[in-house]
Amino acid sequence: MKKTKPKTLSRRQLISRAGALGGILLTGCESDIYTPPTIRGGLMGVADVLTMASQRYLMSDQALVQEHAISEITKNFPVWNQSNPEDEEYQRLRRGGFAEWQLPIKGLVNQPISLSLEDLKGFPQQTQITSHICEQGWSAIAQWTGAPLLKVLEAAGGVKPEARYVVIDAYGGWYEGYDMFDVVHPQTILAYGMNGKDLPQGNGAPIRLRVERHCGYKQLKFIKSIQVVSSMEGFGRGTGGLNSDFDFHWYAGA
Amino acid sequence: MIFLQFPELYWGKVGFQGHPAVFRLSDWGLSWEQADALGDRRWGRNYHYLFAWVFAFNGIAYLGWNVWQKKFYKKMFPKREEFQLSNIKTDIQNHLQFKKPPGKTARSYNFLQKISYLIVLFILFPFMFITGFAQMPAFTAILPELIDMFGGRQTARTLHVVCTLLLVLFLIVHIIEVFIAGAGNQIRSMITGKYAVSTETNE
Repeated sequence: MKKTKPKTLSRRQLISRAGALGGILLTGCESDIYTPPTIRGGLMGVADVLTMASQRYLMSDQALVQEHAISEITKNFPVWNQSNPEDEEYQRLRRGGFAEWQLPIKGLVNQPISLSLEDLKGFPQQTQITSHICEQGWSAIAQWTGAPLLKVLEAAGGVKPEARYVVIDAYGGWYEGYDMFDVVHPQTILAYGMNGKDLPQGNGAPIRLRVERHCGYKQLKFIKSIQVVSSMEGFGRGTGGLNSDFDFHWYAGA
Repeated sequence: MIFLQFPELYWGKVGFQGHPAVFRLSDWGLSWEQADALGDRRWGRNYHYLFAWVFAFNGIAYLGWNVWQKKFYKKMFPKREEFQLSNIKTDIQNHLQFKKPPGKTARSYNFLQKISYLIVLFILFPFMFITGFAQMPAFTAILPELIDMFGGRQTARTLHVVCTLLLVLFLIVHIIEVFIAGAGNQIRSMITGKYAVSTETNE
């Protein structure tokens, strides 16, 4: 059994990573990273903020999550929720092997771009063998390969100073917002590969997000577009994602 | 309510439907659909975390107050003489016969009470937190040793549920015993600090 001591980014590396984005600030005192886009009323909101703030404070060194050995990879990784979005455009792209799939990076970036699957595979590759943890209780291990979200945003010229969230839209109607604390984490990747092969249909082809410090419902599948915004207002109920629109915690560190 | 959304327990690092389970509710006559209909995982989870915080703050206040007042030392840690076999025997006998403690001894905890309270306070309560933390993706990023400690996230989940059942069992037994000992008197003493003691007459 491989035992991996998680590597930790030094403060200097962190600052240089953030600097490369030209706008993302990530000093520990940035209050944004301690609260969700909207805070629920009453005691529930107090509990949400306590949970998120305390965990984020303890994670401020951006340590990597534990990785597993190849032998520990789950053979029949579950397919949960949507496995094939009923979306005309998605079905057309799927039949074409996603050759025509394009990922627009828009909003508060300095140079909006659009990337093909091949473009994404040209980014520095990040591979990680991690646990996928469902909030319902199941968990399974897989190897994910993809392009770091941070590098993709850098390719779009970095983000503007007022940028606060990255909103990812998916085929099938799901959307989810992520704050910069998660965006800069080295294991936050747009995954196109699973266990050494192309990402299977049921697991989110052509690409899905991996944000390893969150539960499964934040690991958006069937990604359609990425936009950088200053506020989550105007997206669904404005809570920051479809899951939180349905009364789940927006912050899914647990 | 949360468990009902995924009514299977596993041992080790991974666990999902179809994976060898150590416990399946469906083996006990409740199907996935029936269990699912009984729970609500959105609000189940929300209340779970809200009350975890209430539990934490309450626990800190309780621990702080009692450590400050040296109450654990005075009231809960068994004295040396209580460890004698004869004393434990009498306690167990009294207990099994549902005998009320005689006279003034009713004011202090007996050996069995002390031991069970200590187990609940210093073993089961902290264990709930540790097994809870070991399931959280954020917490295991902070302290991966938590998973290694249990040999896997699913083991932690299973123990979390087992520990919950033990605490529920404790609560039920505790409440039954309060009634046996006289609920009115007990509750009055909790609020006012005064506890009526039956005076023994010389016979």
